Amino acid sequence: MADQPTATERFIQGVLPENPVYRQLLGLCPVLAVSNNMKAAVTMAASVTFVLLCANVVTSLIRNLLKPHLRIVVFTLTIATFVTIADRILAAYLYQMSKTLGPYIPLIIVNCIIICRCEVCASKQSVFTAASDAIGQSLGFALALSSIAAIREILGTGMFFELRVLPAAWPDWVIMALPPGAFLTFGVMLAAINWISSNK
Amino acid sequence: MSYLTDIFLIALGAALINNFVLYYFVGICPFVGVSRRVEMAFGMGCAVTFVITIAAFLCWVITTFILMPGAPLSKWVAGFFVSADVAAGIDLTILSYIVYIFAISSSVQFVEMYVRKFFPVLYSSFGVFLPLITTNCAILFACLTIMSNIVGVDNPADAWDLGRSLTLAIFGGVGFTIAIVIMAGIREDLELCDIPKPFQGVAITLIVGGILAMAFMGFTGVDSGLRNAMIPM
Amino acid sequence: MMMESRTREIKDSPGMWERIKKNSLVQGWLVLLLALFFGSALASVQLSLGPKIEMNKLNETLSKVPELVLGASRAHEMEAKNQELGIEPMTIEVNKNNKRVLYNVYKTTYNGEINGWVAKTSGQGYAGSIELLLGLDPGMELITGLFILDQKETPGLGNKIVTEQWRKQFINKPTKNRLIVVKDGADAVNEIDAITGATISSKSVSNIMNTAISDLKGQLISGQSSNR
Repeated sequence: MADQPTATERFIQGVLPENPVYRQLLGLCPVLAVSNNMKAAVTMAASVTFVLLCANVVTSLIRNLLKPHLRIVVFTLTIATFVTIADRILAAYLYQMSKTLGPYIPLIIVNCIIICRCEVCASKQSVFTAASDAIGQSLGFALALSSIAAIREILGTGMFFELRVLPAAWPDWVIMALPPGAFLTFGVMLAAINWISSNK
Repeated sequence: MSYLTDIFLIALGAALINNFVLYYFVGICPFVGVSRRVEMAFGMGCAVTFVITIAAFLCWVITTFILMPGAPLSKWVAGFFVSADVAAGIDLTILSYIVYIFAISSSVQFVEMYVRKFFPVLYSSFGVFLPLITTNCAILFACLTIMSNIVGVDNPADAWDLGRSLTLAIFGGVGFTIAIVIMAGIREDLELCDIPKPFQGVAITLIVGGILAMAFMGFTGVDSGLRNAMIPM
Repeated sequence: MMMESRTREIKDSPGMWERIKKNSLVQGWLVLLLALFFGSALASVQLSLGPKIEMNKLNETLSKVPELVLGASRAHEMEAKNQELGIEPMTIEVNKNNKRVLYNVYKTTYNGEINGWVAKTSGQGYAGSIELLLGLDPGMELITGLFILDQKETPGLGNKIVTEQWRKQFINKPTKNRLIVVKDGADAVNEIDAITGATISSKSVSNIMNTAISDLKGQLISGQSSNR
């Protein structure tokens, strides 16, 4: 196990060098779909963090009992359970937000980030490493999601967290709040990150 | 409103107006990953349409007979253990996400085995994509939409029947195929273009996707216009 | 030596134990155990949060009812004085061209007298359906309020139907004539100003209201006594 990264390395890698969205291109569905305002994006990132953390810890706890051919079934069962719990908690305490996010909360089940982390890290390493990996990856996901949401909300409505930041004279770029805005913003951001990292 | 009008509008909505990929952003992974060649994209589209139909059928049956509050089958089974009025109030919707994802993955397994055994020609054209489809959001999204139209309606009479559910699924798959094939066609030509280095690969695909989404936005409102034309208020 | 002979013995004769070990159910013991564990976790979540979620669903409409019947200022006044409006939910069935249409209606009473009606209705908007609550006075002569519960209209244009500024022009409109949406400044009693750039969304809302009013008007007035 000497060649496996340590907990700190896992954490740091998740945030920027191996950012799940910009570098690994995983979990694009929520990044595009719930990034038209910051509140929804933050709620989404929190739900993903909860599910990823729980799934990684549980997978790591039972990693020695896993049979190769039943691995994926166990992962799916774990993830689906925690997603259901997250969905119910949102519906109980943040009802309006859970209505806005609609099907995108249950769609976390098929979010590749989570099953990928269970497979790559949690099924091989200790609980502590798996937990720090989960937090690092979720932080990376939250950063990516909120960077796009910030751009789309500010340009699309002139507001940030529903507080006005641009002068009232700003002609709202409605297209940014609509589906095409998501594709365009993410495409340009991805190109910018490629450009910055190739210049290093 | 006549049943056929309703079916027609659901089909139009799923395929073009609220396209799964370009409006709801589900199935982005294959849209970006498997859209390099038109033949591959078409194979992927067919595979998704095939699986989504089977998954939607399973989902409708499971939701209507087992999961939804007061579903007949669970009421009947529970009737052996508890009193009749407790059994009538049984609500298993909390299990729906787990049940759907397992229904999808097992149906993908069966479809793969069946197609490999009985339709080798078909298998060679889209069989390789089948395992990838399990984690395709489009399938689960179709199931969730059907569920919200069965469980989430105010009046039980408005709940979707099998015909509406299958229409949504099939035309959702058709919409996915349309989007991914158009994308692949554009990407084949993009290879001849001089794209700035940072944009090469996924970035330019997403920007093209954005322009496609803009084009598809032109369909918005078509359904409300048609509905008003067909059903006088 | 003994060890070796024993292993050979087991290898040669696949006994009961071996067969049990190969059984797929035993192989999947972890999955079954996890399913049991997760199942109980979900059951406890459902038992603890289920009632709260149901309450949230009900409150979403119920909390809006007083405001729609009385207007925002009087509703707040009543809340401050701890006076409560009686709200009785009911389902009204309307037969239209041989088709059953169901409406969820809330009858509000104060000190035993009918105070007004709130009807939940929905219809096609510009993009997707619009779901709204409509407040009416006891005789169904005037509209007392409008609230949009759910809509998918274009952000920045059509979704302005949710703003109070636009909704408040419906208050105190008579129900005698159909509401008509106009683009160049409303002056007649039954005219409504369209939102700039979103005429279809504005028309959809007023059409949904017109349909609900004409469906319910006869039903509620005549059916008042027969409805329990």
